[in-house]
Amino acid sequence: MNKRTLLIRGGAILALLVVSVFLFLVGKSHSVLVDNKAVDDLPALSLVEVEVNKLGSLELTPRDRDKFDVTGQRHSLTVTYTDQMWEEHVIRRTIKIPLMQDMVMVLLPVLVANPDADQSLWLELYEPPTYAVTMAEEEEVVTDDLAGLVTDLDM
Amino acid sequence: MIKMTNSQKVIRFLANNTVPILFLVISAIGIPLSGYSANYLVSEVIVRLVRNSFLIVSLLIPILAGMGLNFGMTLGAMAGQIALIFITDWGIVGIPGMFLAMIISTPISILLGWWCGKILNMAKGREMVTSYIIGFFMNGIYQLVVLYGMGPVIPIRNKALVLPRGYGIRNTVNLAGIRKTLDNLVVIRIARVPIPVATFALILLLCLFVLWFKKTKLGQDMRAVGQDMEVARAAGIRVEHTRVISIIISTVFAGYGMILYLQNIGTLNTYNSHMQIGMFSVAALLVGGATVAKANIRNVFLGVTLFHLMFIVSPMAGKNLIGQAQLGEYFRVFVSYGVITISLVLYEIRKKRELALAGQSLAQAQEAQP
Repeated sequence: MNKRTLLIRGGAILALLVVSVFLFLVGKSHSVLVDNKAVDDLPALSLVEVEVNKLGSLELTPRDRDKFDVTGQRHSLTVTYTDQMWEEHVIRRTIKIPLMQDMVMVLLPVLVANPDADQSLWLELYEPPTYAVTMAEEEEVVTDDLAGLVTDLDM
Repeated sequence: MIKMTNSQKVIRFLANNTVPILFLVISAIGIPLSGYSANYLVSEVIVRLVRNSFLIVSLLIPILAGMGLNFGMTLGAMAGQIALIFITDWGIVGIPGMFLAMIISTPISILLGWWCGKILNMAKGREMVTSYIIGFFMNGIYQLVVLYGMGPVIPIRNKALVLPRGYGIRNTVNLAGIRKTLDNLVVIRIARVPIPVATFALILLLCLFVLWFKKTKLGQDMRAVGQDMEVARAAGIRVEHTRVISIIISTVFAGYGMILYLQNIGTLNTYNSHMQIGMFSVAALLVGGATVAKANIRNVFLGVTLFHLMFIVSPMAGKNLIGQAQLGEYFRVFVSYGVITISLVLYEIRKKRELALAGQSLAQAQEAQP
């Protein structure tokens, strides 16, 4: 193999690796939970509208939690709420989700109380409880479609 | 050269197209019995074309190289499935997920294709049966890796993918993240029938690649190897190397085809999805009028249409005719295997007949000489 061929092949492999990393970053899915529950001494908001990117807004009442499914790491978050004086406020922030984190949760009362604070204050890395992920029952592995037919014949 | 009469020409046409004609007759009988509307049948056939064409086109290049029908395409299908398990575990969705799966499957397919090609070079003349058995052998390795290796050796983060015992992948993997992403990317409706333009564009791209490839130096080498290995070797073509490359290309495309197939279905049957894919793809190609030694893109589309039309129609036709849809299911399974048998037998008969005709014309030419 001459030097030119080696360079072309090496370049092609490198380009594929770069494309793979790009696809990984662009296609990685995350769930953004938006949570309107009281946190310590901060009460839940009576009515709040939340939108992530341009995925459509969700209205949350106290104790509500909802979810946005997004891909990529950077997202815009828009929170619209009305205070006790019936004045409407809009908070616009950009969130950055850690690459391998599947779920994050936005604590809305904390964000509204500290609209300029660092995202680490109101964006929680969320791990779903194990019972929600794994089923307890055993699962029989079927590696051969014909196995069932043979059993049927035996009966 | 012996001049043929019109009736001889008709008989020759019928003999050369026995299988497609047989399927046309079966479909012509089955369609009215099934009671399906034309609109439903057309939309179903389009779904099957989108789902299967890429896989079947992957069979064309080994035929060009004289290696027959590559039942070893299941190796590529396994590579595609492993890639899909990885992207599901990592949570990569949509079009990027699908293309990342294709990239991941490529080195696995190349490795398996190279290995399969090397073995087929040791079994010249018996490539089809050898590749068929290689598929079974590799299925064992695949099961070992997926059932015991994934979890303890190959890390799997997503607990929903892993069996309750803590290692091995579950029987079914939900591909919701990539389900119909390509099919739904660009859809146009003609007479209320949805046409997935993006998937057809990808299939068209592969067809154009195959047509272009046949005209390249490597493609011509493959044709020469397919016609006569010894003549090709005498002409300075690296016969074994060319044959290995044809199998590698076929395996890589089979991997991509499997990813397209499963993105359309949306669920991966971890231990079964790849098992029948080789058989059904080969059967569809043969139904389209291809032989062990000659196949083209027209055969692919005609084959998918006729073969899957029968698949769609036969359960309902069976139900309406006999009262049991199950009989229609059995019918389509035995027809799939039967058509491969008929095609192989017809190919041998045709080969002998052509040899006899060549002998006759040679004898006539010798007699004509003073």
